[in-house]
Amino acid sequence: MSHEVTLEWRDGREATVNVRKAETVTDATERAGLGIPYGCLYGACATCTGRLLEGGLVHVKRARGLKPQHRQDGYVLLCVAEPRSDCRIEVGAEVQADLVPNPWK
Amino acid sequence: MSTDERNQSTDAHHDEHHTVKGPGYPTPAAMRTESEREKTAFVMGVRVGMDVDKPDFVGVVDVDPDSETYSELINTVEMPNKGDELHHFGWNTCSSSCHAEGLVRDHLIVPGQRSSRIHIIDTSDPRDPTIEKVIEPEEVFEQDLSAPHTVHCVPGGKIVISMLGNANGELPGGFLQLDQDDFSIDGHWEVDRGDMRMNYDYWYQPRHRVMLSTEWAAPETYYPGFDLDDVEAGKYGNSIHVWDWETKEHQQTLTFGEEGLIPLEIRMPHNPEETEGYVGAALSSNILRFWEAEDGRWEWEKVIDVADREHPDWDMPVPGLVTDILLSLDDQYMFFSNWLHGDVRMYDISDTGNPRLVDQCWVGGNFAERQSIGGHDVRGAPQMLQLSRDGRRLYWTTSLFSSWDNQFYPEIGEKGSVMMKADVYPEEGRMELDEEFVVDFGDAPGGPARAHEIRWPGGDCTSDVWQ
Repeated sequence: MSHEVTLEWRDGREATVNVRKAETVTDATERAGLGIPYGCLYGACATCTGRLLEGGLVHVKRARGLKPQHRQDGYVLLCVAEPRSDCRIEVGAEVQADLVPNPWK
Repeated sequence: MSTDERNQSTDAHHDEHHTVKGPGYPTPAAMRTESEREKTAFVMGVRVGMDVDKPDFVGVVDVDPDSETYSELINTVEMPNKGDELHHFGWNTCSSSCHAEGLVRDHLIVPGQRSSRIHIIDTSDPRDPTIEKVIEPEEVFEQDLSAPHTVHCVPGGKIVISMLGNANGELPGGFLQLDQDDFSIDGHWEVDRGDMRMNYDYWYQPRHRVMLSTEWAAPETYYPGFDLDDVEAGKYGNSIHVWDWETKEHQQTLTFGEEGLIPLEIRMPHNPEETEGYVGAALSSNILRFWEAEDGRWEWEKVIDVADREHPDWDMPVPGLVTDILLSLDDQYMFFSNWLHGDVRMYDISDTGNPRLVDQCWVGGNFAERQSIGGHDVRGAPQMLQLSRDGRRLYWTTSLFSSWDNQFYPEIGEKGSVMMKADVYPEEGRMELDEEFVVDFGDAPGGPARAHEIRWPGGDCTSDVWQ
């Protein structure tokens, strides 16, 4: 079955997309023309990083671009993620930058 | 001959010693002296990791001061997909095939670093390039390779691309070979990889049957951004690899350790007789020189050490981060960029083991006083370099890699990066920032973009190799 996924940008913008069965969040946001960033499309590059705020979401391929700590903190890779319930996810290019702060600053 | 006119070939390229017409120049000096001034530049424009819902593009920048559109982005060829991260690119053929009749330098090979998609761009009209063919990622993954980086055309009708990962974005990488005629995938270039696991850039000197390759990390490691824990865990490179160019076998590993962490861009002199070169170790911020010893083994030494600098807003000293290096066509000068400091350096390398700093240009970054040019903020710092063939104009862009930009210069992720230029006076051993020249990729049609590698129609200091 499909699930309603609510996307929240840090500038306050919000959108809802219907993610179909066996469809990744990135495939759904592209179908809806929402312009969520992505890169490799196989879970390695983390360009599509979002943060799961609410709901159930699973990685259908290994999310290689995330470290265990990132996963514990709720970060998800939308290009290999499928919802298992209605979800709320924080999205946008800035979210990826949370993963790796400047190590010297 | 003009290198910017439609369907340029070397038909007009007369040389009394070489009667066969080909796609390049018989010697580096011929390229330096017989080619005309660059009139347009191809510049990669990247939207990955930005809230700009558009593909990356191959941009055309007008660098002809007599043109009405001088220092403007006059054309953009958008890729058919988003998310590629266009990065480095190269030619279908160059001076390494100078003697091969019938070849024309008229196609750019433009890989997507993240997508692993490879675009073939027809540049017969350098002001209006068009996409001719796309090799989809699945075809690349079938070779158990990903993350294409350096493209060189090589003698024998082939194109070789360094590949940083396997089909899962893990190690090892390898080299992908394409056919020059139809741009189809031949398979792996290498026959025996030896102990090489990481890959990045490569250079070759065919007269001496040698190729050398460098190391970044696994795509799954560097793609998400730079994490010092990964350096401590040994996930970043500290070695370069020597290959037999003919048998395509790995011969030797030069391990630099702490002196050579993350050895990225590698350059050998354009003079085909030379058996030495330099590599910039980005994280250690050293320039290392390597050479072939009398017994045929390769040796190395550190020749330049960029000192870390204290910054009031940083907890730890800031490394220069040497991200690109370039040798002039006459092999007299080396230029390199310190992306975290904000300077480009010019060294006299006529005594190859003792480079002499002759000038430095500060703009942008964390330490330059000058943070804007022509009313445009310098977002980022000098990074990818390209020198005019005559050695008199050095151009650069300020973006490194989308996720690393977002980490160190987040304003690039919002507003794109810029292209700048310095005038170089080789006779006097100095250079001067051109305050009149700036191309702000924040104003690119369709939305801001990160400007990355630069190439001239007709070849340049980092594309051409001589047999």
